[in-house]
Amino acid sequence: MNAFLATIRISFQRQLTYRAANLSGLATNLMFGFFRATVLQTLYNESTVVNGLTIQGAITYAGISQAVIGYLSFFHWYELMHTVYDGQVGSDLLKPQNFFVYWLGVDTGRALGSFLVRSAPLFFIYVLFYDVVYPQSLLTWLCFLLSLIFAHLISFAWRFMVNLAAFWTPNALGIGRFVFGLSWTFSGFYLPLDLFPDWLAHFSRATPFGAGFYIPVQIFLGSLDIRGLILSLCLQLFWILALIMIGQLILSLGIQKLVIQGG
Amino acid sequence: MTPIIHVSNLNKTYKVYKNHKGYFGLLRNLINRHFKLIHAVNGISFDIQPGELVGYIGPNGAGKSTTIKMLTGLLVPTTGDLLVDGQIPWKERKDYVKKIGAVFGQRSTLWWDLPISDSFSLLKHIYEIPEETHSANLNLFREILELDPFMEVPVRALSLGQRMRADLCAAFLHNPKLVFLDEPTIGLDVVAKQRIREFIQFINTEKHTTILLTTHDIIDIAKLCERVMVIDLGKILFDGSLETLLTTFGGRRILSVEFAEFYPAPILEVAEIIRREGHTVVYSFERKQVSASKLIRQLSENYRISDLEVRDQPIEDTIREIYEKQLLYNHPYDKENPSS
Amino acid sequence: MHAIRILRLFLNSQIKSQRQYPVSFILELLSSTIILGFYFLAFALVLQRFGEIGGWTIGEVAFIWGITELSFGSMDMLFSGFDYDTFGPMVRKGQFDQILLRPVNVTIQVLGSRFVLRRLGRMMEGLIIIIYGISILNIDWTVGKLLYIPILIISQVLFFGSLFIIGATTTFWTMERLEILNIFTYGGSEIMSYPMHIFPRPIRLIFTFLVPAIFMSYFPAVYILDKPDPLNAPDFVSFLAPLVAVIMLWLALQFWHFGIRNYQSSGS
Repeated sequence: MNAFLATIRISFQRQLTYRAANLSGLATNLMFGFFRATVLQTLYNESTVVNGLTIQGAITYAGISQAVIGYLSFFHWYELMHTVYDGQVGSDLLKPQNFFVYWLGVDTGRALGSFLVRSAPLFFIYVLFYDVVYPQSLLTWLCFLLSLIFAHLISFAWRFMVNLAAFWTPNALGIGRFVFGLSWTFSGFYLPLDLFPDWLAHFSRATPFGAGFYIPVQIFLGSLDIRGLILSLCLQLFWILALIMIGQLILSLGIQKLVIQGG
Repeated sequence: MTPIIHVSNLNKTYKVYKNHKGYFGLLRNLINRHFKLIHAVNGISFDIQPGELVGYIGPNGAGKSTTIKMLTGLLVPTTGDLLVDGQIPWKERKDYVKKIGAVFGQRSTLWWDLPISDSFSLLKHIYEIPEETHSANLNLFREILELDPFMEVPVRALSLGQRMRADLCAAFLHNPKLVFLDEPTIGLDVVAKQRIREFIQFINTEKHTTILLTTHDIIDIAKLCERVMVIDLGKILFDGSLETLLTTFGGRRILSVEFAEFYPAPILEVAEIIRREGHTVVYSFERKQVSASKLIRQLSENYRISDLEVRDQPIEDTIREIYEKQLLYNHPYDKENPSS
Repeated sequence: MHAIRILRLFLNSQIKSQRQYPVSFILELLSSTIILGFYFLAFALVLQRFGEIGGWTIGEVAFIWGITELSFGSMDMLFSGFDYDTFGPMVRKGQFDQILLRPVNVTIQVLGSRFVLRRLGRMMEGLIIIIYGISILNIDWTVGKLLYIPILIISQVLFFGSLFIIGATTTFWTMERLEILNIFTYGGSEIMSYPMHIFPRPIRLIFTFLVPAIFMSYFPAVYILDKPDPLNAPDFVSFLAPLVAVIMLWLALQFWHFGIRNYQSSGS
């Protein structure tokens, strides 16, 4: 446990040192936030509510989308893949710490650092420009925070799995790009899922990508009642467990392959 | 005879900015700048004649790579004169680099993903090498460097030794007048090192290519260079033959004595004990101060000896001492004129 | 010319090594076409609920969106050597020195150092979207408009290329990854995919006077699609795209050469 916390701490501190990258990432994401908000405002035009989503809700949605990019490593994460390709993974596997737990620690530290220096400030600045809706009750806030933590775990679990492809193919990067692409499409990142045709919205929400992004936003916007809250959090939990289990399976297969084939 | 390299009072000074830490550091970096001046090369002068094979050595950070960068046109000097084959390297880049070749031990000069034969073809076009010259050189180098087994292998899949041989072939393909070799034997085993040294000697003898060799392996210098320059802290402290350097500053010998029994303190006045192992004691002494036979006589008068060995201090140790103790600074500057 | 010949040789060897794995290449190509296409598809599906955005229909948006995608993809392929993410590490590893040691024009060498065929995916995606847009629109075609479209695409390629060159040049000074430049490259291509009159004034001003994206997409589209212009700009601005592109390229190359000279005087 100590090792796990230490890994998180080191990774967290490392993330904080990327000053220029953090700040410029913040600026870029903020700018895109303005773009997305503008597009939504123009679309809504005179309407105040579309398919249950108010214009303020949509604008809030856009702000949260941009804020979590850093936190969820939304666009790319290929660190594990690189260690497989440069051989570093060999010594990592020999460490006394569980391999999955180790990488979880590294990624959690990064996520926390990113959240502190990029996500939170971005949202605070964003709300200076737009009217944003907030969770109405303490319960909703707590569920939101819990959901955000789950989102990180889901995100890490599938990113971990995707990187494992490197054990089998030199083109794992291509596979990674494809899966990341799927995550942008089905998470509801581009545009609020509420504005999609219903069939697409339901399907997307059921995927780990939707569960890992859309659900926290829904909670924040207060779109869910108690029953909805519980079911959504359970859905997230389901994905966490499922992805971790599959990930473990793939990892053990990968290690077998590594050991048999060598270098 | 006109020197192929003429360097006179060459200087390269850098400004190194202090980087402020922390998040406000970024702001401070914009307005409040502290800097330090670093004299990487501090007024060096030398001439190198065509066909010479010169060694250029010094401790890390001495200014070797800065000098080489200026000689190859990669870096613009701060002040001073620098002429290579009548040209100012950095001024007429495209024209100038046609005449030189370079090998860097730390990274390849070839294309990472291409089979080396493709790299060699590309070089033919880049340097506009006439067909006969290109094939003649390529065949010759392929044979000497034994490149055939991996001609179709990309650089990324080569071992260090293979890569180095490929880089050497590439550097000399266009018959350059002058070649810079920066750590060409680094990380190689003794057999590979020997092969490369032979190749370098061959090229220098056959094609009269001027070669400037930078290396940390002093044996390279011992085997190849009649002339060596030592640089430290941006200044050239020695320019002459390796032998002169060693006899002036070297001259330590090692006396290794295996005593018949254990003696707690077999001390000699003019010799230093550098190691003890069981009954064996290893002494180091200055050749100029005392002779080996005198020491042996002294020891045998007082102690019983089973076996002994006398040998010269390894060159590496001499050089290390020169660097560490900055011997060249303490002794009067000894410069020999390189004759043509 | 020697330099052009060398460029062709470089590109050939790039293509050759990428063709070594045809299956994975085709798969990656299709995957990027699909993933990028999803982005447009998502927007199109959402637009169905609203009918139009700022007075522009889906066909009209498809037109500017598709052209931007086609141009950006082409640029990304041609100027891969200047891609910030690969050029930066190249400088840091000392491989730029190797370029300076060869008797070939530096810019040509960098252009030829990387040619990512995979970008054809984005180009195809853009083309499909353009065709979709044109097929559902009723454009009043004239010879002028038809001639202007390829000119517009080339101008956009040069425009984005300039931004890439500027991005690459900054790596001479800073080791840290400056995502802020993404605001102009990827932000530029994003904003050019929408009719720019919908954006608030401060953003429009940035993309008019700092990075002149508005001349590359919005005004030309107003001309081609015969759209009313709420910004009330004079007619001739629709034709400024090639001029703006050339000026930007020239400025970018000046900065690039300045960067190289500075690299040579301060070392790495």
